[in-house]
Amino acid sequence: MTAPLLSVRNVSVSFGGVKVLDGVNLDVQPGEIRGLIGPNGAGKTTMLNVISGIHAPNIGDILLDGVSIVGRKPNEIARLGLGRTFQTSQLFRGMTVLENLMTGLHHRTSAGLVAAAFNLRGYREEEEAAEEEARLALEFVGMSAFADRPGSALSFGQQRVIEIARTLIGAPKVVLLDEPAVGLSLNRLAEFDTLLRRIRDEKGVTLILIEHVIRLVMDVCDQVTVLSSGRQIAEGPPDAVRNDSQVIEAYLGKELRARHSAS
Amino acid sequence: MTLFGRRNVLMVLALTAAIAPSFVNDYYLFVANTILIYVLLSIGLNILLGYTGQLAFANAAMFGIGAYATGLLQVRVGWPFWLAFPSGALIATAVGLAISLPALRLRGLYLAVSTLAFAQFTQWVFLNWESVTYGAGGFKTPPISFAPLPVSKQAGLYYLTLILVVVLYVLAQNAVRSRIGRAFIAVRDSEIAAQSLGVDLLRYKALAFGISGFYAGVAGGLYSALLNFVSPEGYDLFQMVLQKAMVVVGGLGSIVGSLLGAGAIITALEALRTVKGLQEIAFGAILLGFILFMPNGIIGALKAKVRGWEEPVHRSRRRNSPPGPAAVTTPRSEVRP
Repeated sequence: MTAPLLSVRNVSVSFGGVKVLDGVNLDVQPGEIRGLIGPNGAGKTTMLNVISGIHAPNIGDILLDGVSIVGRKPNEIARLGLGRTFQTSQLFRGMTVLENLMTGLHHRTSAGLVAAAFNLRGYREEEEAAEEEARLALEFVGMSAFADRPGSALSFGQQRVIEIARTLIGAPKVVLLDEPAVGLSLNRLAEFDTLLRRIRDEKGVTLILIEHVIRLVMDVCDQVTVLSSGRQIAEGPPDAVRNDSQVIEAYLGKELRARHSAS
Repeated sequence: MTLFGRRNVLMVLALTAAIAPSFVNDYYLFVANTILIYVLLSIGLNILLGYTGQLAFANAAMFGIGAYATGLLQVRVGWPFWLAFPSGALIATAVGLAISLPALRLRGLYLAVSTLAFAQFTQWVFLNWESVTYGAGGFKTPPISFAPLPVSKQAGLYYLTLILVVVLYVLAQNAVRSRIGRAFIAVRDSEIAAQSLGVDLLRYKALAFGISGFYAGVAGGLYSALLNFVSPEGYDLFQMVLQKAMVVVGGLGSIVGSLLGAGAIITALEALRTVKGLQEIAFGAILLGFILFMPNGIIGALKAKVRGWEEPVHRSRRRNSPPGPAAVTTPRSEVRP
């Protein structure tokens, strides 16, 4: 077994007196698609926020490719190869789709203020390469036709896809997706399955996704981790997790569990 | 390029500005010079407010610091204008960067209040540190000379201002359509997403404060030379309102909008100068009208109605090709693994 690409070790987070995450462990192997599910308030988004550096854990450690990222700022963690998207659309509304993608290249480009202001050659070449790469990234998600649309003119589902492309263009090792399928219609959901698999297979990116659309989780995830009230209550392949009694209890309650197993 | 596109209109404006001294009187030259100085101020403020989204109120103070530093270095230290002026601009830049340090941790209204406090503090220093600043009465600066160039002081200063405006306009325009400008807009539109893409919030906010400080400092030095006089009331809260008005009327997040806004506001104020009392009312009405009916400013209307005013924040190599099809023809096999 190879070393995990992302390793969350015994992480706890409290806000005030409320323990949102309580000794959570998570090991994600390179090339894996990991599902992170659980009822509302289970701490899933907090988990992503801790990994991406928005919140610091009270205790515990997080390793990305063997390097501890606890205590680093989100932009530093992004540079180390962690990308993410958010529960609500965070597309830059004042830019076109193409420019949004070029912004995703921020940490892979380096032109400074002087080079840009004086339009120096090195900067121009970098900028041309960035535009070319942004167009390829748009093509990858099948949205080339939208390059020059303002970010605000896209449908909600399209915005989500562009946000994913904007993260991917930064060549991350791991991408965290917070409910990426929200707002997708049922027939686009199948395309979305394919997109997630292509991201893993063609870009070699490891994915961790929070998702409430259980069908998507069951279809694409290799492993699923279930959180409930800040604790990790189950982990394993989707089918095993689906039949785990603790998971059913967390979602449906005890009484229903009895009925579920009776039927 | 379309006939009435931005490039052509700016060329005509620049040419008109270049030959203006030969056919206008001293008063109109003074007004034109004032407009040019305000163009610098509103470009700097627009980068901070319009592009980076930082609701700061320190621009008038930095304008004042540029003017006071340029003036006092001449009067108190005896430096020539040519040394005092760039030094004043650098001092204003340094102050801009310095106030950004505490301001970086604040957002929205908190940033507004803290920078407002800084502006009031600056006023207080101008007024009360009499042994250095000459207090409320202000002080006269020595008249500058352009010898051996064969131009009068007015024309010389006008051309100096015009050259600086053209250069600083082009530099700002280049900067905002680079990765720097995109980082500014990213910070404005979504701090959390900007960070997740590797944009260092503190660095880019500080950079925007520094740039606006530099533009305000250059404007301050030129303004002290234009008036030959520096006093606190030129750099007070009304000055700040004036600059904000220019940015809003011209259009937030647009360099050319800053130019149009400065021109429109100064022209309106000068036109109304003869009817005292009406000036403030008309100024208020203009602002209200823009906020209600043209929230995107003059540039918003131009972009909607006239071709050739778009301001992409990247340098497109395919500006004239129709969007889409060109990219689609690339075979899938060329996609990076």
